[in-house]
Amino acid sequence: MLGYFIRRVLVLIPVSLAVSMVIFSIIHLIPGDPIDNLLKIGAGPEQREIMTARYGLDKPLAVQYWIWLSGVLQGDLGTAIVARRPVADLIAQALPHSLALGLCALAFSTFFGIVLGTIAALNRDRWPDQLIMTVVLLGSTVPGFWLGLLLILVFSVWLGMFPVSGARDWSAMVLPVLTVGLGGTALVARVTRVAMVEAGQRDFLMLLHAKGMRPARIQLRHVLRHALIPVVTILSLRIGWILGGAVTVEVVFARPGLGTLLIKSLNQHDYPVVQACLLILAMAVMLGTLAGDLIQAAMDPRVRAAL
Amino acid sequence: MKFTKHLLAASVSVAAIIATAPAVFAQEATIVLPSNTVGLTSYNPVTAILTNAASFLIFDRLVEVDAARSYHPHLAESWEEAEDGMSWVFHLKQGVTFHNGVPFNAQTIADWLPLYDGTDNAYYTAAIDSIQVVDEYTVKFVMKHPEPNLLYNLAIMGVPEPKSFVAMGENFGVTETIGTGPYKLESFDIGQQTVLVRNDDYTWGSPVAKNTGPAKFEHLTFREIAEASTAFLELKTGGVDMLLSVPADFVPEVEKQSDLKLVSVPGRELVYMVMNVVKEPFTDIKVREAAALAINQQEILDNIYGGIGQVADTFLISALPEAKVADDYRISFNPDKANALLDEAGWTMGADGVRMKDGQPLEVSLWTQSDSVFRRLSEVVQAQLKAVGISAEIATFDSAMIRDQYKSGEQQVAVRSYVWDNADIVDWFFGGDRLGYPNISMFNDPKAEELRAAAMTGSKSSDERIANFTAYHEYVLSQFPFAPIYQPVVSVGYNTSRISMPEVFDAPGIGSTVLMDMAPVE
Repeated sequence: MLGYFIRRVLVLIPVSLAVSMVIFSIIHLIPGDPIDNLLKIGAGPEQREIMTARYGLDKPLAVQYWIWLSGVLQGDLGTAIVARRPVADLIAQALPHSLALGLCALAFSTFFGIVLGTIAALNRDRWPDQLIMTVVLLGSTVPGFWLGLLLILVFSVWLGMFPVSGARDWSAMVLPVLTVGLGGTALVARVTRVAMVEAGQRDFLMLLHAKGMRPARIQLRHVLRHALIPVVTILSLRIGWILGGAVTVEVVFARPGLGTLLIKSLNQHDYPVVQACLLILAMAVMLGTLAGDLIQAAMDPRVRAAL
Repeated sequence: MKFTKHLLAASVSVAAIIATAPAVFAQEATIVLPSNTVGLTSYNPVTAILTNAASFLIFDRLVEVDAARSYHPHLAESWEEAEDGMSWVFHLKQGVTFHNGVPFNAQTIADWLPLYDGTDNAYYTAAIDSIQVVDEYTVKFVMKHPEPNLLYNLAIMGVPEPKSFVAMGENFGVTETIGTGPYKLESFDIGQQTVLVRNDDYTWGSPVAKNTGPAKFEHLTFREIAEASTAFLELKTGGVDMLLSVPADFVPEVEKQSDLKLVSVPGRELVYMVMNVVKEPFTDIKVREAAALAINQQEILDNIYGGIGQVADTFLISALPEAKVADDYRISFNPDKANALLDEAGWTMGADGVRMKDGQPLEVSLWTQSDSVFRRLSEVVQAQLKAVGISAEIATFDSAMIRDQYKSGEQQVAVRSYVWDNADIVDWFFGGDRLGYPNISMFNDPKAEELRAAAMTGSKSSDERIANFTAYHEYVLSQFPFAPIYQPVVSVGYNTSRISMPEVFDAPGIGSTVLMDMAPVE
């Protein structure tokens, strides 16, 4: 197990380098130039040249990449060209907001997804199953920005229960968490239901029934436990999504966050910020995948044995 | 251990975001900033590229400008410009203090202006050779060359307390900021909100505002909401008290609400159609003139913008003195003349309503950006061009990418807008050394370049600059590289149960004048 862990961590190094190279190349291939956002009306071509040199954009791409990478390896994400702030400061401002929203939404979707998936599996092909799966299907197909506006209309405008937007207190978190969490709930509920149905068909359950164990206890202690393995895998794969998956919801609810920062910086071609945001998101996905594999190994003796 | 410490700090941040209780103030107003000023990362008046309404309340300026673009005293009580334009003397207001108690005087100016050197805003002060402190409240600028645009620059430049500015370094404008303005910075959550607290000692407001201080509200909270529908719903539900810029789509909705009111402030935007003079068929000035005269500005104002704002008939917003060109140069809807010009140019009307010449149809590609208002506007322009026999196919580009598409020079005709309130915008968009972008029209005319040089660098005084720019503007108008369309106003929407506002402002746009004249409802 330890050897597996070390191997997986070592693999992350070349993967991260490759990811950083892809991110850097893509950003610089997109048409556009941050200097366009800095030049004020009246500035002449010579001012463009001065600014291009000031921000090192006149150097060959490979040199720019090396300067950026060596900075990142020393923990320096650079300074935003358009936003004029250290990139680390901008990310430190945004990251807690994305984490707060993402973690709350993950907790919400985990709890309600497992509960609804279990209820659906226990009532397979009966009306509670059909009702839950219909709602879940709707929840996973409705776009986040539309659902967000709908929730604002109902809970803020008509019922006056929650603020329309902002990130001032816990009440402002409710609707964004619902909006982000409902999509995740649908996914977790579907996976839980399928896994529960599959686990419910295992042979060992006959033994438990024969031993006289109560059906409810069998379902909750044994079937659900087996069914949670794929659910945990799905959840761990969504760690990257926690940070960057709520962009439209952040915009609708006027919340700061990594997604908002990324979109704004992308529109301004603020390369250092975009590169840092994408690198963090990529690292989160890679670490989430690693965590998912390790959790799966810890939970399932068959996976452990195969390592 | 270090990791545990970071984990603990991150947990505290996350918990604080979830649980922070909002502050409640007795005389508070919550204001939503215009979406185009969302995203400020620092209230640093020297290095900032972006400013917002809150920065106008933290920092005062030496001079103020009114709706008619006349300059008025603020921190400078009066000024004199040498006849040859090679020096300016400013007499400063006495009794002004910064938020930290440091007095404002001539030495402040001498310490402040050199801070621009080496920054991306250095051009503001580039024409100043040296600054001489004549006495405690008099300062003289010795110029490298005449700069008739100096007052325009000074009306933008907020004055920070120079010693604190240097001492705080990058933190100035983020954790703390010190000006002489009617409000002090209390807190700044980047991307979220800025809370200002009243400067009770403030008595030196500009005479352009009715209230010269102190401000009527004790606290102002400026919120950043990029999504227009969210901002409107906040106003509708009482979550905020004012939107500094109500998008055109939401104006009728605000008008429907009995507790909401709109007040208009002059805008700085101008919407226009630009033609590429080196691409067929717009190489022919008659075709350009015909296309320009085919645009029915009034119809667009009424149907796209609900009658709010005004039509444009030159390339400059009408408040600028350089927009006062002779009537012959104004470009207005004239379909009969448009048709006659196309006939003269040899384009004859075909059976399908599209003109033909040498077997070729009069077809053009009309570029626009993906915003919904621009798409709607392009469709109306397309129909208006079709009415005189020009078939335009609309090509839509992402708003963030279209600028780079223009650099290719492939555009034929495009619908776009700019936001600026100085005549040098004519140089920016039609200067012969900026072909592609910003000179989308690819207009590069020797006579225009001559007039441009006189306007940009050959003027010694403000009056001479106005005359030179007016001549340059008139010549560009006569060559029809564009068609003016529309000048929006800024609609401020506010809750009448919380805020009272004058009906009319003598302000050039959203700034300290508008915000100083609002008061809480008793």
